[in-house]
Amino acid sequence: MLWFLRGIRRGVVTTRYPRATDAWARQLPSPPAFRSRRLTPELAARLAESCTPGALRLEGSELVLDLGACTGCGDCLTAGDDAVVPSGEFELATSARDALIKRIPIGAEG
Amino acid sequence: MIHAAALCVLAGAGLWLVAAALGTTAARVSGLVAASAGTALGGAGAATGGGLIAAHGSGAVRTIGAGNLVGSVTLRLDPLAAVFICLLGIVALAIGLYMPRYHGAGRGTAWYLPALNLALLASLGVLVAGNAVVFLVAWESMTLFSYLVILRHHRRAGVARAAFLFLALGEAGFALIVAAFAILATHTGTLDLAGIAARADAVPAAWRDTAFVLALLGFGFKAGLVPLHIWLPEAHPAAPADGSAFLSGLVLKLGVFGIALFGFELERGGPAWWGLLTMGLGALSAVLGILYALMERDLKRFLAYSSIENIGVILTALGGAMVFSAYGQRAIGTFLLLAGLYHVFNHGVYKTLLFLEAGVVEHATGTRDMDLLGGLIHRLRASAVVSLVGTLGIAALPPLNGFVSEWLIFQGLFQGFRIGNNLVGILIVVAGASLALTGGLAIMGFARGFGIPFLGMPRSRGAAGASEPGQPLVGPALLAAACVALGVGAPLALTVLDRVVRATSGIEIHARLLVPQLTVIPAHTDFAAFSPTYLAVFLVCVAAVPLLIYLAGRPRGESRIVPVWDGGILAFREAMQYTATTYANPTRVTFDELYRPEFHVERASDDPAGRSGPVHYHFRVMPIFERFLYAPLVRGVERLADFIRPIQSGDVNLYLLYVLVVVLLAYLIYTY
Amino acid sequence: MTEEQRLSDELRERAVALFARSLHIRTFDSGSCAVCESEIRLLSAPHYDLHRLGFFFTPAPRHADLLLVSGAAVRAADTALRKTLAAIPEPRIVVAVGACALGGVFAPDELVHGRVDAVVPVDVYVPGCPPSPLALLHGLLVAVGRLEEKVRTLDFDLREELVG
Repeated sequence: MLWFLRGIRRGVVTTRYPRATDAWARQLPSPPAFRSRRLTPELAARLAESCTPGALRLEGSELVLDLGACTGCGDCLTAGDDAVVPSGEFELATSARDALIKRIPIGAEG
Repeated sequence: MIHAAALCVLAGAGLWLVAAALGTTAARVSGLVAASAGTALGGAGAATGGGLIAAHGSGAVRTIGAGNLVGSVTLRLDPLAAVFICLLGIVALAIGLYMPRYHGAGRGTAWYLPALNLALLASLGVLVAGNAVVFLVAWESMTLFSYLVILRHHRRAGVARAAFLFLALGEAGFALIVAAFAILATHTGTLDLAGIAARADAVPAAWRDTAFVLALLGFGFKAGLVPLHIWLPEAHPAAPADGSAFLSGLVLKLGVFGIALFGFELERGGPAWWGLLTMGLGALSAVLGILYALMERDLKRFLAYSSIENIGVILTALGGAMVFSAYGQRAIGTFLLLAGLYHVFNHGVYKTLLFLEAGVVEHATGTRDMDLLGGLIHRLRASAVVSLVGTLGIAALPPLNGFVSEWLIFQGLFQGFRIGNNLVGILIVVAGASLALTGGLAIMGFARGFGIPFLGMPRSRGAAGASEPGQPLVGPALLAAACVALGVGAPLALTVLDRVVRATSGIEIHARLLVPQLTVIPAHTDFAAFSPTYLAVFLVCVAAVPLLIYLAGRPRGESRIVPVWDGGILAFREAMQYTATTYANPTRVTFDELYRPEFHVERASDDPAGRSGPVHYHFRVMPIFERFLYAPLVRGVERLADFIRPIQSGDVNLYLLYVLVVVLLAYLIYTY
Repeated sequence: MTEEQRLSDELRERAVALFARSLHIRTFDSGSCAVCESEIRLLSAPHYDLHRLGFFFTPAPRHADLLLVSGAAVRAADTALRKTLAAIPEPRIVVAVGACALGGVFAPDELVHGRVDAVVPVDVYVPGCPPSPLALLHGLLVAVGRLEEKVRTLDFDLREELVG
């Protein structure tokens, strides 16, 4: 009956995105980010192995991450110790499929 | 003028007689064509004659022979009857043009054509009768010949029963009509209709009332007034298309003519309750007629129920006319009579058209079941256009004729506030509101009646194989032209009808009905006004606007043409279409209390639908009147027959005793 | 940049200008697990309220400007997908939503194409499993040119952290 009073008391609940981003949006499951200097070939191989959806793979001295395939499951976070952290990134839309493929160098060189 | 008209009518009658004679040779094609030509030419003659008399606005009486057993044979040409004569002529003309392609030459046709022509002749006899005996003889012949018309395909299932139902109810009505005439003739001492009308005031009020009610019911049987209507939905599908067209276009109207004859001529100026009774029965017929029509899948049964609805509309107008006249509002009364007569004419035209087209559809596809038709607009192009005109007319959409007459009736009824008695005023407006409901449902019904058979995809092999060449077209097309003409040219037609009602009611409403600018005003200038002609012009202009916008704004480049959006399914099939049953289902649910439908679902197994094989779904509206009115009546008669049967034991000695007793009784009565 | 590319970019710019303020969305499920649908439905909830940005859902492809496709493009839905796209008047935008639609989860076989752009041309890809409503909003805004594509500038490599 007095539902509108309740509504007024709650105030504005609508997000202000895209002008401001809700803080929690960065804490949702998201693709991993890598501390590339801490990556070793062994760790990279283990990461590629651990990736359930197959979004990570080894290509020579690079670890290739396909954001399009990443489901944010977090298996790589478990396997990768402190070399892998959640990126908190969700604004990933793109008009080019290739832009979603990221190459991460393995090791400290460069 | 009158002589020319009489000659035309006489020529028409003669031609029908000749056509009846020629019809016996219809076993050959030449005979069929000759007889049809006779019917059509006779129709043209009768239409011209009737039109001339109506336009002239006065009649003539001629008596042949005198002093013999039946008194004398009096014939007359009366403006009121002339409207019906003109309609009869138009119906006959259309039927005559339709017949040669509809009927095959053969022995059945050789029986049928004489019956139909004689039925036309007998109908003409009813309309020109100037004397009660002539009227009754013509009426009875009309019933009998119509019975033969319905019996055309007497070997088909149900036809004999339907024809018998028509005959039985017709005879019951006839008995009531005879009684009504007998009462008036006894109290006025004459059989001459003009004489009865002149001395009607001498009849005691109670007898006048009785005679009117008897006439209303008696003619109501023929007109299809609820609850006396049950023969209509049976007889129409049984008869051939032109026979149904004749029954609906004309025979029903003769019932209206009879009621008008009693209410406006023979017993002019009855109490208000006559009008209220007529109006109430009319409104009931209108609403129930269209509600039952919506449940019908058979095209002709649907049209038959729609006829009941239209007769209801007409009788509401006539009843309203009586009520207004009884309360001293004679201008509105006369106006409503005019509106009612216009609706008689219009309904005669478009219902004949629709029945003829139903015949075309049945011919072309082999079925009348709407749920087996569909897509005919691509196969019967010309017939679809003609049907569409008739459908728009009967659905009362502007600028066609049905709209004009229904608008006039509404404008008359909604002036109920001019009556001093509030209750009566309200009852009249309620009748008007019932007609409004009827009008809405009629649009729905005819959207279904045209849309399901003609639009979409064919629902059966028969519908897919329909083809136009060889189908009758000229007759219905003529009627479609008449629909447009009577709508757009309504002011002209109303001028003619105005002379008719002036001759009948003696009230001058011309000055208040029409203004020179083709505008119609319903009796009082402070209420409403409208011009059908300008409306038609306006509608054409309005239709031109989107066309212009399209032509101006059409993209110049190449268009991308893709299939109609179908929800993305693999293929859209016939069985996925909306059917007549589903279209009417919301109405069925809304008026469940009235319909009390009986469902019957048959499945090959108890698996869920789709895996159980074919599912047969039957649905039937409960025939309330048959079950609760007629069935007890029939049981009563049978019980009475059981009671009387012992008298007829088959023993010759007993019969001799009866003869002796009767002779003795006769002797005793004669002696004392 | 080839001539063809230049023309297509130009066309896209014009379409985007047309849709910048108001756009109608038709969703299409080409075999998703319904989680993407659940997120899409959340867009109408008060918290996200996509109407404030000028986006509306419509069930009729005839009225739609944007086709939002989720799921792995199962082959059984081919006809429906193609018919839906054909029914949308041009100019139009196709957005593929979720990891399945982007080719991440299912490999092509006789049942699925595994990615939507194998069936119809896709204009914008929105990754995520499922993409959150904000990710979807971002995708829609990118599709009509109201937000920049951010992902091109990201490399998911946190080198600088070691520096610090």
